[in-house]
Amino acid sequence: MDPVRTEVMRNRFAAIAEEASNVAYRTAYTTFVKQTQDYQVALASLDGEFFAYPMRAGVTSSVCQNVRGLVDEIGLDTLKPGDIVITNDPFSGDALCTHTMDIHLLRPVFRDGRIIAFAWAFIHASDIGGAVPGSISPTSYEVFQEGVRIRPALLYREGELNAQLWHFFADNSRIPELIWGDLQAMLAGLALLDTRMQELCARYGTAALRDSIADVIALSELKARQAIARLTDGSYEFSDYLEAYNGDGHIFLHARMTVAGDSLAVDFSGSDPQVRYALNFVTGERAHPFLCMPVINWIQTVEPTIPVTGGIIRPIRTHAPKGTLMNAEFPAAMGNRWVAVMRVYDAVLGCLNQALPGGLAAAGSGQAGIISVAAVDARTGRRHVSVVEPFIGGSGGRQGADGVDGIDQPVAFLRSAPAEVVEVETSLVLRSFRFEPGSAAPGRHRGGYAMRIELENRGLAATVTVRGLDRFRVQPWGVAGGACGSAASAVLNPGTPEERDIGKIDVLEMRRGDVLRMITPSGGGFGDPFTRDPALVLSEVADGLLTAEQARAQYGVAGDAEATAALRAGPRPPPGSFSLGPARTALEAKWPPAASMALATRAMAAPAALRAHILAALRADLACTDGSVTPAAVAAAPDP
Amino acid sequence: MLRIGIDIGGTFTDFAVWNGEAAGYTAVAALKVPSTPPHFAAGVQRGLEALLAQGRIRADQEMLIVHGTTVSTNAVIERSGPPLALLVTAGFRDILGVARLRLDRPVDLFARRPAPLIPRHRVHEIDERILADGSIDRPLDPDGVVAAARAAIASGAAAIAVCFLHAYRNPAHEQAAGAAIRAALGDVDVVLSHEVWPQQSEYERASAALLNAYARRAMSGYIAELEGWLATTLPKARLLVTKSNGGVMAAGEATRMPIHTLLSGPAAGVTASAALGAMLGEANLLTMDMGGTSTDISMIRDGRIMVSHDGRVGEFPLMMPVTAIEAIGAGGGSIAWLDGPVLKVGPRSAGAAPGPACYGRGGTLPTVSDAYLLCGYLSEDAPLAGGLHLHRALADTAMAPIAATLSRDSAAAAEAVLAVATANMLANALPFIARLGVAPAELTLMIFGGAGAIHGPLLADEIGIGRVVIPRVASVFCAYGCLVSDLLYDVVRSVHGEALDAAAVAAIFAGLRGQGADWLAAQAGDAAPAFEYAADIRYAGQSFDVSVGLDASTAERGDLAAIAAAFHAEHGRLFGHASPRADIEIMALRLRVRGNLPRPGAVARPLAQGTPPHRTRRARFAGAWHDTPLFAWADLPVGWRAAGPAIIEQETATVVVPPAFTVAVGPYGDLVLDRER
Repeated sequence: MDPVRTEVMRNRFAAIAEEASNVAYRTAYTTFVKQTQDYQVALASLDGEFFAYPMRAGVTSSVCQNVRGLVDEIGLDTLKPGDIVITNDPFSGDALCTHTMDIHLLRPVFRDGRIIAFAWAFIHASDIGGAVPGSISPTSYEVFQEGVRIRPALLYREGELNAQLWHFFADNSRIPELIWGDLQAMLAGLALLDTRMQELCARYGTAALRDSIADVIALSELKARQAIARLTDGSYEFSDYLEAYNGDGHIFLHARMTVAGDSLAVDFSGSDPQVRYALNFVTGERAHPFLCMPVINWIQTVEPTIPVTGGIIRPIRTHAPKGTLMNAEFPAAMGNRWVAVMRVYDAVLGCLNQALPGGLAAAGSGQAGIISVAAVDARTGRRHVSVVEPFIGGSGGRQGADGVDGIDQPVAFLRSAPAEVVEVETSLVLRSFRFEPGSAAPGRHRGGYAMRIELENRGLAATVTVRGLDRFRVQPWGVAGGACGSAASAVLNPGTPEERDIGKIDVLEMRRGDVLRMITPSGGGFGDPFTRDPALVLSEVADGLLTAEQARAQYGVAGDAEATAALRAGPRPPPGSFSLGPARTALEAKWPPAASMALATRAMAAPAALRAHILAALRADLACTDGSVTPAAVAAAPDP
Repeated sequence: MLRIGIDIGGTFTDFAVWNGEAAGYTAVAALKVPSTPPHFAAGVQRGLEALLAQGRIRADQEMLIVHGTTVSTNAVIERSGPPLALLVTAGFRDILGVARLRLDRPVDLFARRPAPLIPRHRVHEIDERILADGSIDRPLDPDGVVAAARAAIASGAAAIAVCFLHAYRNPAHEQAAGAAIRAALGDVDVVLSHEVWPQQSEYERASAALLNAYARRAMSGYIAELEGWLATTLPKARLLVTKSNGGVMAAGEATRMPIHTLLSGPAAGVTASAALGAMLGEANLLTMDMGGTSTDISMIRDGRIMVSHDGRVGEFPLMMPVTAIEAIGAGGGSIAWLDGPVLKVGPRSAGAAPGPACYGRGGTLPTVSDAYLLCGYLSEDAPLAGGLHLHRALADTAMAPIAATLSRDSAAAAEAVLAVATANMLANALPFIARLGVAPAELTLMIFGGAGAIHGPLLADEIGIGRVVIPRVASVFCAYGCLVSDLLYDVVRSVHGEALDAAAVAAIFAGLRGQGADWLAAQAGDAAPAFEYAADIRYAGQSFDVSVGLDASTAERGDLAAIAAAFHAEHGRLFGHASPRADIEIMALRLRVRGNLPRPGAVARPLAQGTPPHRTRRARFAGAWHDTPLFAWADLPVGWRAAGPAIIEQETATVVVPPAFTVAVGPYGDLVLDRER
């Protein structure tokens, strides 16, 4: 590895990636690209690993995806200069595409008749048809409800547009002109990447460029291995749960993380099969970042100078059996997958806590709420949809630091909108949008506070949609003696005779004057709260975030040092590792994780179409038995 | 009239003096005196006394002193302002803590949102509500306001900021709250958000109100001290202060609205670049101000300074128009180090203390400046500004570990350090340039500040810029910027969601013009106002707006069709596409008011003949040593030209001309480097 050239080229690669991402951003059409920056443009090596990846704009969490599966689907040898591959099919291309709303584009970069790299782009298309505008509904249960699907195909052949393919796609979107505009923007970014690669070849020579690509990726791998080597060798397990949309059902997720020297593996065997909601996603065969995000973030945290390339994931293997929620098979629906990705995040974070002496961080709020409202404009008679706010909740307390208030790590890129903008654009009045006092999970480093929002509809009628909600019952866990975070809630017309606890909503019709009050979960606590710096506790009392009584009860802190010492002198519960909360504790009293794993494994053995039914039936049957369910009881239960 | 520009830096306080009559830009004189932190006024006074003593100015002369000061900026960055209170609409007590939710580094597991400027217990919820259309939903509770204000003052608040929802549309409640507080509590410093910057977005507006209140004490103390001194020493001097938008305002206005000075430091150099660029016929510039720890870059396109509406000061947003600056974490003090198998430079800097190893002040780590010395760009024989002598042996020792690891001699290692430092700058500069859709080849690099004249040509070579200009007054360029800036006032009116017809637009612009004229008059300027109109517009349903310049007749008639046409055209120019049949939404109307002040003009020096004397120095370029001609800038006549490599020394700066460039002295005494094709 050339010590100077590697660093010079890393900077060169970063510059052209940022430049291309910027071109795509500036010329894109839709709000999804402009406001939430749900797009990206980057360069990948022949092996499909990204080596030039933007970090200032666009989605930054896809750097460990791999484009080679898409290339192989179309056939490397069939590609020609000027070709553009398109797909939005999550069921092909080895999980590069993780739901149908993401349109991926690939352009081979040729030099002297040979491919030297792949320019890649994706956009989250604002509509690709399907059951609802925007194509995402949490309760969609088949991919067919989520729009048109195109397996990898050539949108351009040697620079010629395949117009029939495009017309087919366009005829199935509600906003084809806008999507076309976005695609053109991404294509402009791809063309620029090609130009810049040609310039680098001219300046440094093709061989030196090829070597530099390899060196920069290898440097990422080397640093990632250094980071993983800091973890304690061993095998760690952790489970977590998603809540179903009807009734009190749950979805079981189980991670086993194995650390051996400077490599690491994550296995989701024993997790529930895919579900008939839009909560599934695909991760394919090779290591997939959605199955190890906390590890990737941790590597970048402890190795801040690591080149941001696909080399980061090289020391990591991931596996999720086909047909599970996190490696779903056709025809699973996936539009609302991000909350499931966050729960996978929590499960892996639970493992990572065990692999680091003293732990790392408690679970965050664990939801990815996006509130939007549809109303008919009285002037134009047209129905339009506006995003109100992201609605997340605090992150978990961390080794050495409190959780972040109001937002959780895996969605920390989201920006809120000013209330003043929301109120101009919608018929809603925001009566409050603030932290929820008393909601932070106690800990030496407390969890981040929950958010509270109160929306009042002043229009004739409004349809509020909230996707990505969760943790209404199973609270975010605390760790190292920290308490668990609080659960979410949603109440319609609080404080009136019509008050109604409406639980985890997806769609809500609001009449004029209706008030919706929602509170997010809060992040879990880290470490024994009785060791928290009393000054921090008292400042939160002064700030009105804690009552004096809460300070005494949760932290053993009173007004003066002597009283605090007395309160804290009493016996402490042993510093348990994880604090799971009553709902999960009760659930696991009946269904210990080993039994849930046995049940999931048994269901997975059945034909795909029967799995959900078998799981539900066995779960119902075994729930009627006395005491805890055992793996043996699961195995012995008669076929439903 | 005599005009003096003063710019305060961490190490030096710079003066540029123009006597108002003689040969314009070429007659501008420079002076540097040591800065006197934390009492910066002393350095200013010392410099003016020196100018008096030298006879360059007379005590009884009428003069305009234009001053760039960062006392407010320092107060914000160091969070050394007084305790403040904030009154907000009920339900929004966490307006500061929530901010805009997002974290700057989402992948960092230890990322934090910056702590608010004031703690939550100093934020008070007030029972009142105005809706998006400006109508009153709940009347203001004046007793609640007074009670909150009393509690705030009792707990030590030095000032009270007020930010109510939709005050940009209807300020009645903020005004009533201000009146109630003053009526009950007398002489209390109250800052109302709509008076500071009446734009939609409550978090940013609340921040603006707070920042203004926060900076006021530092600024008013500083201005009072300086004006007091001036009243006795230079009684006919009028003091103006530079603004973040590249213009200036009266000292009294700076005391009232110090928020407009928060990013003024780097802005003045960009204003100077635009002025010099206009003289040289260079309309498209990349500006570069390289200091010890960081490098500021900015852009000028078609003679217009690039404006940003999302500036940041410290950890806080500024939404008023400011000169767009990108700070790059690479400077002369940036430390070179080995990160595993690769060579890195920065972001850690040796700063001013201990400074680079070659300064001989105790620094032992190799820096970019040490690399300059080892490559022969700087010399032991030529002390830096302030008389600092350099030590090659110390640089050599500091570079030795890197040289050993790279298996090269220390000069070759030094060149590698510069290659990496240049690549760091490139990684930031190219995306910045790309934001405006400009190709580097269309730009001229204008360099000022400490190490820029060494590194600028290296950067230009790397990113494909063909021409580099080093101003004659590069070492006091921000002070020169004070000589060429105008009175400049920005005003905005958010109209998002309002039904606008031509009459309404015309009336709003007329109102803004009135405000602008009043402001200009209040600066005691006799300058006639010039108006620049703009509107922030987007396609309906999108959330990304574009600021569009409007010609006077369009704006004054409120010609909606012409406004729409201007938007479609600008959208097309910026983004390559437009949708002329799509509905548009006007988000805000803007006006910029300019009052021209006398400035030094372009009077070329006559061409001169002569072969300047030179020595030679060994300097290293692209892996080889060159016997490089070494000139003194003062010896070079206008019109002189030479091929690189060359080194040109001045008292306060060294210019390096790489082999690929030619160098010439331009008509005003500036150096112009052109890359050979």
